[in-house]
Amino acid sequence: MKKDTFRMHLSRCAAILGKEHYGKNLTVWLTMFFSIISILLSLPYSKWISVINTDALYKKLKLKASVIETLDTKYSLFNILTFVKDTKAGSIGLYSMLLLFVMIATLYFLCLYIFRVFVKKKNTNGNLNLYLVGKSASFFGMLLTLGLSGYISFSASKLGVKCFALSPMAYIVGILSFISYVLIKIVEVEERKKYKEHGFFQEFKKNWVLFLMLIPTFIYFMINAYLPMLGVYFAFTSFNFRDGLWASPYIGFKNFEHLFRADLYRLTKNTILYNLVFILVGNVAQVAFAIFISQLVSRWFKRTTQTLIFMPYFVSYVILKVLVYNLFEYKSGVINTMLVASGLERIDFYNTPYYWPFLITIFYLWKNLGYGMVVYLAAITGISDEYFEAAKIDGANIFQQIRYITLPLIKPTFIILLLYALGSIMKGQFELFYQLIGNNGVLYNATDIFDTYVYRITTTQPLNIGIGTAAGLYQAVFGFVLIMVTNAIVKKSNPNYALF
Amino acid sequence: MLRREPASTLVFRLISGFFALTGAIVCVFPFIVIISGSFTDNMTILHKGYSILPRDFSLEAYKTIFKAPQDILQAYLMTTYYTVVGTAIGLFTTTLCAYVISRNEFKYRNNVSFLIYFTSIFGGGIIPWYLMYASVLNLKGSTLAIWFPALTSPFLIILMRTFIKDAVPDAITESAKIDGAGHVTIFFKIVLPVLGPGLATVGLFLALGYWNDWYRSSMFSTSSKTWELQFYLYNLLNAQTAIKQMAQNSGLSHITELPTESVKMAMAVVATGPVLLFYPFVQRYFVSGITIGAVKG
Amino acid sequence: MKSIRKILSLLIAICMVLSLAACGGNKPTSQGNDTTTPGTNDTTTPDKPAIDTSKRVDLVFYVMGDPPKDEQAVEDALNKILLERVNATVDFQFSTWTDWAQKYSLELTAGTADLIYVANWNNYGTFANSGAFLPLDDLLPVYAPKLLEVVDEGLYNQCRVNGVLYAVPATWPEYTVSGVKYREDLREKYNLPVPNSIENFEKYLLGIKEHEPNQGLLTVTAAESSGLITAFDAFMIVNFKYPWVNINGLPYGLAANYDTPSEVYDYWYSEDFIEDCKLMKKWADLGFWSKSALSDPNNDTAFINGLCVAEIAGQNPNKHIAAVNDFEKNHPEWKSAYIAYGETNGVIYPAAATQNATAITAQCKNPERALMVLELLLADEEINRLVQCGIEGVHYEITPDGYYKNLSEDFMYENLNTWNLRNNDFKLPQLSDAILNDMFKRYEELGNKTKWPNINVYGNFTEDYSAYAVERGAVSDVMRQYLAPIQAGFVDDVEAAVADFLRRAEDAGLKACRDGFIEQYKAYCEEYGYK
Repeated sequence: MKKDTFRMHLSRCAAILGKEHYGKNLTVWLTMFFSIISILLSLPYSKWISVINTDALYKKLKLKASVIETLDTKYSLFNILTFVKDTKAGSIGLYSMLLLFVMIATLYFLCLYIFRVFVKKKNTNGNLNLYLVGKSASFFGMLLTLGLSGYISFSASKLGVKCFALSPMAYIVGILSFISYVLIKIVEVEERKKYKEHGFFQEFKKNWVLFLMLIPTFIYFMINAYLPMLGVYFAFTSFNFRDGLWASPYIGFKNFEHLFRADLYRLTKNTILYNLVFILVGNVAQVAFAIFISQLVSRWFKRTTQTLIFMPYFVSYVILKVLVYNLFEYKSGVINTMLVASGLERIDFYNTPYYWPFLITIFYLWKNLGYGMVVYLAAITGISDEYFEAAKIDGANIFQQIRYITLPLIKPTFIILLLYALGSIMKGQFELFYQLIGNNGVLYNATDIFDTYVYRITTTQPLNIGIGTAAGLYQAVFGFVLIMVTNAIVKKSNPNYALF
Repeated sequence: MLRREPASTLVFRLISGFFALTGAIVCVFPFIVIISGSFTDNMTILHKGYSILPRDFSLEAYKTIFKAPQDILQAYLMTTYYTVVGTAIGLFTTTLCAYVISRNEFKYRNNVSFLIYFTSIFGGGIIPWYLMYASVLNLKGSTLAIWFPALTSPFLIILMRTFIKDAVPDAITESAKIDGAGHVTIFFKIVLPVLGPGLATVGLFLALGYWNDWYRSSMFSTSSKTWELQFYLYNLLNAQTAIKQMAQNSGLSHITELPTESVKMAMAVVATGPVLLFYPFVQRYFVSGITIGAVKG
Repeated sequence: MKSIRKILSLLIAICMVLSLAACGGNKPTSQGNDTTTPGTNDTTTPDKPAIDTSKRVDLVFYVMGDPPKDEQAVEDALNKILLERVNATVDFQFSTWTDWAQKYSLELTAGTADLIYVANWNNYGTFANSGAFLPLDDLLPVYAPKLLEVVDEGLYNQCRVNGVLYAVPATWPEYTVSGVKYREDLREKYNLPVPNSIENFEKYLLGIKEHEPNQGLLTVTAAESSGLITAFDAFMIVNFKYPWVNINGLPYGLAANYDTPSEVYDYWYSEDFIEDCKLMKKWADLGFWSKSALSDPNNDTAFINGLCVAEIAGQNPNKHIAAVNDFEKNHPEWKSAYIAYGETNGVIYPAAATQNATAITAQCKNPERALMVLELLLADEEINRLVQCGIEGVHYEITPDGYYKNLSEDFMYENLNTWNLRNNDFKLPQLSDAILNDMFKRYEELGNKTKWPNINVYGNFTEDYSAYAVERGAVSDVMRQYLAPIQAGFVDDVEAAVADFLRRAEDAGLKACRDGFIEQYKAYCEEYGYK
């Protein structure tokens, strides 16, 4: 009975709020007002976390008086990590960092929401995008408050003393977020009906089979990627066995200094240039050879050449290193022996950096041509013969057929592969460089890439978890920004070519 | 088929043939050196270098490798096991996922694609990944730890998505749905049958990944019984460098006999041989020139 | 401020060591109710409390290298005994030589092993400092009193890191002195001098070059070692010249003589260094090594295959023996000989105890049982023999004159790679050990004549570079990029190249590294009384 009345109220609310230009705007303005309050409350000057039981805590952490002097008793989420750093309370470090991320996400969405309210984008689905932003903002707001209350008890259990108290402001943000969430949810219903969009539950109801199909992939990526991703935190710690992985001292960006101490410009430049050449020249060569081979008439010839081109893929770099050294060695290498035999000067390959960008590119192509070609061959094979037949009847010659049929039809594959490779532009072909160049410092200026440098640094110290992770993070952020921008551009011109 | 082709086509075919042949020769050349090296006496290689034809024919290298054939056979067996199991399950997983994110009617296709792609950029590094399997799941020493981590990859899923998008446009699934077919029926009855090249490509990549892998054995095997073939061979090579690195400070007297140059070459042959025998069977999907699914158009 | 703190902590450490030595570790033990006063050297052997072994414990023993074929058979035989004696089993797990360094630290992080092989070349000091191993001072007397008898106190002291004992060393004394391995047959044939100094070594190589122009001379490459000392193999030859406390000198281009370990002096900025680099250039120009040497996929089999006539880096008496055995088998007309740098420069000392030792990981859930098992493995003749040599009658037999004779290739000598379980009392001699023992005897005599008779003065030092890790990494990189070509003699103007290298090293933070190192090293010398 009571439930029914509640529902009635709700629907009446919805009716009022949902009414064009009146309820809807009211909701939007109200939630926006809440957002502004939330932002104001969560800026760094308001200290959400205050340290209590200081004496017991400092004693527990065995802090020296000189350290205690520098400590504050009130912290915001933005500087709570300095507390972790100063007190060496590493065990709450990861949680603090995750909270910081949630905080930043909340602020980002809140600002975005306010921005969107004023700058309305013309969309095919009305205000739904705006609501999505608003919902995200309030969702993160709620998550933040929940996370913070969890943080209080987590730190108490980890540090052994009840040490933090939460200011009411954090709760206010949580409550405001909750109200906003409900309000937006209510106005969203109407809007959705209008534009025939549906939410997660409807989608799940409609396509639950598809969700089911994703389960194996979901499990795989959880185990193999997402759960281990927490390890990014190691980039900010100085690992030692005594404290363990999660409680080792938090040291901020110290690990990144290893990268900045190096000639980061040279490394970044080398890595990117090599990768660009690999991606572009590699893909073009693969496409070209796929077309050549698809044009061959004799099936035997077709198969044999294809198999042979594939073969280098199986030569491991360790073996390749031996062969390459035998080829380019100064005194008895094959090439130099031939040069001398034909009356020419010897070439000192291993002390001349100039040659190596070309040699490395050639060996890269040589090794990966067959592998990459398979994708394009399969794509070409997938093209229906009817197209070609029709073109022939229309009198198109072979070049026109390739130009107007083959190339356009393998273009999506080409672009997707290109885009995909861009994300890893800071990651190098480590094995290729490491095995071919090894410890030859003379060639480093032309051949040193990010991965080989990091490898060298990490081998000088056994406890290198932090440096390795920091380097990975740098590469990832670089690739991430690049791919987000490129993908957005591609998506704008043709959504079908976009990666996501 | 018998219609006379215009001259330009013939010329282009000739050029194609020339390039394909050149490419093939360049690519196969080092392999010939490797094979020839594997049949050459070790001392000859060391003193005279490698050659196209064995200068001093010797079967010594193969005798060394197959001296205790049960080890290498066991490694073959394990690798075959990992390859078959991993490729089968992996192909299924990849295709299912790719099908879902290739459907326009699936609202979250872009979100899921992003989440998958994201893992190829961001990662926690090797250590947490290792701890996940070794400590959290306690899989160290299990064969699961060797094939599971390579079950699929963002690259393969996105590649497969492209193949499915090309082979089965949304219009076809839409009309099948109107006929009352569910997603399961569409997947098995419509998508899979026309996905020949895609399945072959992704399956080949998966299988090659498994066949060429040594890293997971290195990380997770606790007994030589579960070693992958490539690890078995690669590890022999590594003993050499390792011994040099540490010998200075330590009195390690007797370690495994170091592989000779010709044995290294023979190992490369032994590891690659079976794949080359197997490859032509997959190949017909890329070179047949006929479209397997006539759905298009 | 920082230095005060460091000195303070050092003082504390020294006090701890002193108190340990004086009163035999009167600290409260982790066992709480255990009231025995453990003694490290006195005669009162503590009463062994009734240790509860009713629950079976399966232990993992992590060792380096590759497993032997008959690992399982030996483990089964061993576990049968261990189950009877202490109700425990041991599973040997092998690092394999692929990525061993990384896997070793992963193993410690994951904590799946209980017992683990430790060694100085495997960063024992750094790991111990960082808390990877269990302190043994309190546990040893209670659970493995026999280990205290078997292993010398001096050896234990060498395994202490900041005064705390983390490892039980092997008890086989060993000399792993670096030196030059050369072809005695060629030397005799052409009547060349014994290469026991830089000049003679040069004469030796030139003599061979003159008589056999096609013979390869040296196979050297960029040093793999990350010790931040040298960057090119061939440069090790300068050890003939300098009586340094440590082979190749100290890190960051520093050096100190063995007789005056605490007097650290500069090497890279000295005239000597330029002179030595010029020598390397001269040798490179003479064609002693390939112009492509820096990328040489250095063939460790070069010497035994006759591709080079001497090896000067990474050698030790054991490797010489290996070459002798190989020549005997494959090239009876060739002869290998060995001359240690110390025989010329007068600095010879045995290997540090931390060369081969066993530790218990910090995460070990049954440290008591692990120690009991370790005691049996090291101090029980039957078990030790089984682990080191395999099953008697199947894998080996003892010849009438007491030598080890292998019977099966499936389990060779010390095939479980448990070099850390070498017990001097039980170690079965091999036939080739005769030469080795002669060498060791000679080294011992020489070692006795030094200022610190047969003491590895530098051996116990563990550098804690966490404060200047960034600079250290950068310096190591500069060394690889700029020092290696200089030491390989590939630069035109040595003096300019050295100046350039030093400038870059300074930019990378050489001074910070040196300051940090010297401070710690001097404190170390003081602690041990090396003046």
